[in-house]
Amino acid sequence: MAIPVLICDDSSFARKQMARALPKDWDTEITYAANGEEALTAIRAGKGEVTFLDLTMPVMDGYAVLETIRKEDLPTVTIVVSGDVQPEALARVQKLGAIEFIKKPIDPDKTRTVLTQYGLL
Amino acid sequence: MKPEAIRAEPIVLSDIQRDCYQEIANVAMGQAADLLARLLNVFVELPIPQVNLFEITDLHMALQSLDQEEAASAVCQGFAGDGITGEALIIFNDSNFDDIARLMNYTGEHSEAMHVELLMDVANILIGAFLKGLAEQLDLAFSQGHPAVLGQHKPIRDLLRPTHQSWHQTLAIEIIYALENHPVNCDLLLLFTEDSIEVMNKKIAYLLED
Repeated sequence: MAIPVLICDDSSFARKQMARALPKDWDTEITYAANGEEALTAIRAGKGEVTFLDLTMPVMDGYAVLETIRKEDLPTVTIVVSGDVQPEALARVQKLGAIEFIKKPIDPDKTRTVLTQYGLL
Repeated sequence: MKPEAIRAEPIVLSDIQRDCYQEIANVAMGQAADLLARLLNVFVELPIPQVNLFEITDLHMALQSLDQEEAASAVCQGFAGDGITGEALIIFNDSNFDDIARLMNYTGEHSEAMHVELLMDVANILIGAFLKGLAEQLDLAFSQGHPAVLGQHKPIRDLLRPTHQSWHQTLAIEIIYALENHPVNCDLLLLFTEDSIEVMNKKIAYLLED
């Protein structure tokens, strides 16, 4: 059965790059969100078993999404995908419950490695 | 201004192109912020980069963050590569200097020379790293000129008085770096020439292909 995957990024170009970086042999049903609020709506609707989450976004940023996911115990596994490569950004999102941090520009090999590592593939 | 220097049609950016530049700037800005964060031992708050086309004469209006009236200082550095040329600018409000000096462990008298050195140090880090990130993503190489002080202790609009008469439209990328828990912000402004915009649009067309 296809896994519901959510891609949340304010950039349509980044969403497309993320979708392209997913393994071709991974059976997914992809939903897109352009900000944190849209992401939470999708996750609550069961459309994000796995969420790829950007950090810097208008309306609601990635940090606020992670906080809400934790607070409401929402059913999703979150992988942060961001251009903010400061070690402190990584530490903060891990503390907030993200399982992994993938640096932009997104690398398909790294994506596969992460998905395999967590038994998602 | 000679009539033939003006394009028949002004250049426009589609939403898709603007979005693509914004995302590329986002990645490059993150790499530059990482270096700054390590140097100052702070957390750099990243904004959403602003990408806009401007008439060069309206440039001071492009700067959204800085107080137009407050005294500021700026460094500029030219860059070129693969048919793309432009200027990178770092602009600080003068009120930021004491805090930055402290973060960079500058001691002693706050002289003009120290002021310039500080500006140059931050400019080197942010401009160098941003251009590297940009070049990597666009698959090209930039060479950089020497940084120069554009002006000190002047209102923004005087700092940015255009000198390039043949240069009408510019693609401007503006990034406002702020430091968490410190009242410091700093503008990184990238200005690309008119001719560069077409070259860059071709470069990003590859990235936007399905």
